[in-house]
Amino acid sequence: MSTSEAVFSGWMDIAENAAQTQARTIVEEETLAALVSQYSGTLYRVAFSVLRNPSDAEDAVQEAFIRVLRHRDTLGEVRDQRVWLIRIVWNIVLDRKRRAKTRPETDDVSELARVLPAHGLSAEQIASAAQHHAHVLACVEQLPAKERQVLMLSAFEELTSVEIASVLGITESSVRSRLFRARNLMADLLHHSRSVR
Amino acid sequence: MKSHDPFASDSASGTQPGLAPSSFEDSLRLIASLPAPVGLEDRIHAGLRASQLSQPHKARILAWPAALHPGGNWMQSVVLRSAAAAAIVMVIAGGGWGIYSRVQPHQPARATVLPSRPAVSGGFASGGAVRTPQTLAGPVLTHPATATPRPAKAAARPAKKLRRTRPASAAGKAATQPAAPAAK
Repeated sequence: MSTSEAVFSGWMDIAENAAQTQARTIVEEETLAALVSQYSGTLYRVAFSVLRNPSDAEDAVQEAFIRVLRHRDTLGEVRDQRVWLIRIVWNIVLDRKRRAKTRPETDDVSELARVLPAHGLSAEQIASAAQHHAHVLACVEQLPAKERQVLMLSAFEELTSVEIASVLGITESSVRSRLFRARNLMADLLHHSRSVR
Repeated sequence: MKSHDPFASDSASGTQPGLAPSSFEDSLRLIASLPAPVGLEDRIHAGLRASQLSQPHKARILAWPAALHPGGNWMQSVVLRSAAAAAIVMVIAGGGWGIYSRVQPHQPARATVLPSRPAVSGGFASGGAVRTPQTLAGPVLTHPATATPRPAKAAARPAKKLRRTRPASAAGKAATQPAAPAAK
C-alpha cells in the first residue's frame, strides 16, 4: 500500500465513522420520539397517581424523558422499555413526593373533581364522587410505604405483577404478599372510618 | 404479556372474607386510568428539543472528534496510527533527553577540605599535664608474715561447725583482718 493510498483510506475511515455517528444519532432520536408517543400517557398516569397534580405529573414525565435523552446511548441495552420508563418516572415522582412533604398538602377533593370524567353527571354527583375518591386516597396515604406503592402500581391495568416487581426491584411473591396486606389494611381503614361516621 | 392481573381475586392475593374491595379499588383504577392531557406529547417533544439545544453535546470542547472516538475504528487508519506512534516516540525521547540533560554524572573530589574548628575564646589550657589516678593506701606490714601451726583439736573439727557457731560479722572481720603476729 502506497502512502497516498494509506492517507486516502484513513480519511475515508474518518468520513465513514462520521456518517455512522450521524446515522446513529438519527436512529436514537427516532426511537426517543417513538417512546414519547407510545408511553407518555402511561407515564403521566403513573405520575398523577402519586402526585395528584396535573402540572406536577407532566413535569415528572418531562424529566423522565430528559433523563432518557441523556442516556440514549444505552437505549439499545434496555430489554423492556416500558417497565424501564415506568421505573424512571416512579423514582422521580417518589423523590418529588418526598420533597413536597415540607409543602402544604394539595386539596385532593377539588383537584379530583376537576380532573374526573363528568359525562352525564350532575355537579352534586361529581362532588360526591370526588369526595369518596379523596377519602380512599387519604386511606391509601395511611398505609405503610411498601404496601402503598404496590397497591398504587397494581391499580394500573397495564402492569402485571411481574412488571410491578421489576419496577420496585422486588420478587413477584413479595408483590403478592404486600398486595394482600395492603388490601386488608385498606379494608380495615375504610371500615373504621365508616364506623366513626 | 398480561400474565396476571394484580387486582384479580385469587387465593394468593384475596382479601378478607366479607369485605368489598371494589370500593377502593374502583377509585384507584379510575385515578390510574385518567386520560393524559391534550398536547402532552407535543409539550414533551418541545421540552426535549429545548434540552437538546441547551446541551447539544456532553462536552463540546474536550470531546474527541467523531473520527477519533474511542468506540470508532480509528486505529485502522495508517496515517493516524503512524502519527500516534511518532507522538509516543517523541514523548519518550523528549523525556529521556530532559532527564539526561538535567542530571550530571558524579565526579569525585580531588582535595578533602576539613571543616575549621571554631576558636574557643577564654578558658584555661591544660598546659600539657597528664592526669594520673591516685593509688589506694593499703595496710603496711611491719613484720614478715609466717604461717602458724594450729592446735590438733581445732584441726580435727569440721569447718562447717565452726562457721555455724560464729556470727557473720565476726567471720567477716576475720577474713579482712591481717594475720595475727606469731607468739614470742
